[in-house]
Amino acid sequence: MISLRFSFFAQCLLLLLLLFACSWISLFSWSVITVTPADALHALYNMNQDSIAQHIVHDLRLPRVLVGIMVGANLAAAGVIMQGLTQNPLASPSVLGINAGAALGMASVSTIAPWFGLLGSSIAAIIGGGIAWAFVMLLGSAWRGGNEHGRLVLAGVAISALCAALTKAVIIIAEDQAAGVLTWLAGSLTDARWQTFDSLWPVCLIGLLGAMLIAPTLNLLQLGDDNARNLGVSLMWVKLGGSFLVLLLVGSAISSVGAIGFVGLLVPHMARMLAGQDHRKFLPIAMILGACLVVLSDTVSRGIIYPAETPAGAILALIGAPFFIYLVRKRTL
Amino acid sequence: MATRSLPFLVLAMIGLLIANLMFGAVSIPFKQILDGLQIGNEHYFTVHEYRLPRTILAMLVGAMMALAGALVQGVIRNPLASPDVLGVSHGAGLAAVFYMTFFPNADISWLPAVALVGSLVAALMLWWLCGSHSSTIKLAITGVALAALYASCIDFLMLVKPLEINNALLWLTGSLWGRGWNQLAMLLPWLLLIPFALWLAKPLNLIHLGDDSAISLGIKANKLRLTSLAIAVGLTASCVAICGPIGFLGLVAPHLTRKLVGGRHQILLPATMLVGAILLLLADLVARTIDPPIELPAGIMTAIIGAPYFLWLLLRTK
Repeated sequence: MISLRFSFFAQCLLLLLLLFACSWISLFSWSVITVTPADALHALYNMNQDSIAQHIVHDLRLPRVLVGIMVGANLAAAGVIMQGLTQNPLASPSVLGINAGAALGMASVSTIAPWFGLLGSSIAAIIGGGIAWAFVMLLGSAWRGGNEHGRLVLAGVAISALCAALTKAVIIIAEDQAAGVLTWLAGSLTDARWQTFDSLWPVCLIGLLGAMLIAPTLNLLQLGDDNARNLGVSLMWVKLGGSFLVLLLVGSAISSVGAIGFVGLLVPHMARMLAGQDHRKFLPIAMILGACLVVLSDTVSRGIIYPAETPAGAILALIGAPFFIYLVRKRTL
Repeated sequence: MATRSLPFLVLAMIGLLIANLMFGAVSIPFKQILDGLQIGNEHYFTVHEYRLPRTILAMLVGAMMALAGALVQGVIRNPLASPDVLGVSHGAGLAAVFYMTFFPNADISWLPAVALVGSLVAALMLWWLCGSHSSTIKLAITGVALAALYASCIDFLMLVKPLEINNALLWLTGSLWGRGWNQLAMLLPWLLLIPFALWLAKPLNLIHLGDDSAISLGIKANKLRLTSLAIAVGLTASCVAICGPIGFLGLVAPHLTRKLVGGRHQILLPATMLVGAILLLLADLVARTIDPPIELPAGIMTAIIGAPYFLWLLLRTK
């Protein structure tokens, strides 16, 4: 019988091609100054650019696409790890409160203590996300395991609501910084430059490598906590290590482009449909898919009310929220 | 026993009413408030045009949202349910933002009706997705997911139509800022729903015995359920249309009240209205006086109180 399922490597290759196509389109589409598709390719290897178009591609579009790729891969990997750790198909950074917590940390530092600068606010985002995540895990009885899927999600939603209210309060009280924080909260790649890229890639590399290393253990967790323990998995260390990775991935992504939601929920499911249940396979696929999704929605976000930009976060939420409902409806809770 | 706390609630509400009139960016001494009601007095503008309508509005909206919460919790018998948790408030919000962005010149007095349609659609959507026999958690989680959907649609509309959005933004934070006599007048017809709600108290008690017992006692369980939900939707929609989605108020007030006066709906419903009014008056007072002249929307205050309470309920729900 001829199997219609591609092999793993063929899938990766096809997806990488798709990612390349998305990125290329994103380099030249919807520009006020005409950029031809050829210009986009030229600017990649041509260092002394001779036209404005190539300048735009090299200085604005290229870092934006690269940051989008990394953010997408980060969030997708974080979603896979979270779903693996909690054994909960609804888990993702935005649903379980990490996004809102990181936003709160970021907003408080950049309004109350702006002298901390970019690094300070990244650290604040990671700490804020970590605190929110810890609360959600404790209150959602995630440590007990078992069939408490709904409880964990509701705890995440309540913590998100709390963090969102506090964030709004911080913004309103510290008015002068408000505009910047508000744009950032919507989640947009508009301000991604080479500087953002430089601060993002080391963390991204460590995080994604760590995710690949933890993948085999996540496979064992699928057998249930007790079986995993019998197979020699130290649950506490896996959960701590996994949570740390999630924070690293989400914190770095969020502090560079803002609260982009629902990638972490959407992509792992898509990847699982393509590559099956083995984390070693569907994790890399999820990373590429996440990158495609973010780059694509960033491109769409520029065109939707051209020439003004709609934050990519809003577009992703529009796709992600119905999918969330579909998941809730499909699972028996 | 149960009624003993009612006088205290009434006293607390009157105290808060007076405090709301007295404090703000400028404090007005108690004696001068009554004088402020007369035209020509130095405080006339502050008291009569600004604080008085706002205070009355806070009281009414608090009472109505709490009543809606008590009705929903009464018929669904679900401690985590309330119009805002189930996405009904967000549905109303989405409809209103849609109306404001696409018909910027339209008559604003239609807003409650539009919001009503939005929340009805949201309620039907929930009903369609969940059916009537869902578990507590599933119902809450579907409602929350729907609320997330409406919220992202609202964000999207606001980002796509940035010019028409000033009105919507002012309104969406769940605040009493800038609301006056006009808004109060828009709310008044909806007060007619309150006697209907109170009239349902007795059958609501009976349905707590379980559907079968209630039916054998002559209650039409499904009809009661639909009536109560419809009234709750109407109450919520009218409040949301005027003040924006004030989160968690409909969830918290009925619970607090049940602790104070017990579960008999004849007492529970009026007492819930008192507690809701007290909570919103308090939230608005704190929101206005915490860091004047900046105002925090009251919706933020209710969320800061309400979200931890929701978590606590969640922990206790089996």
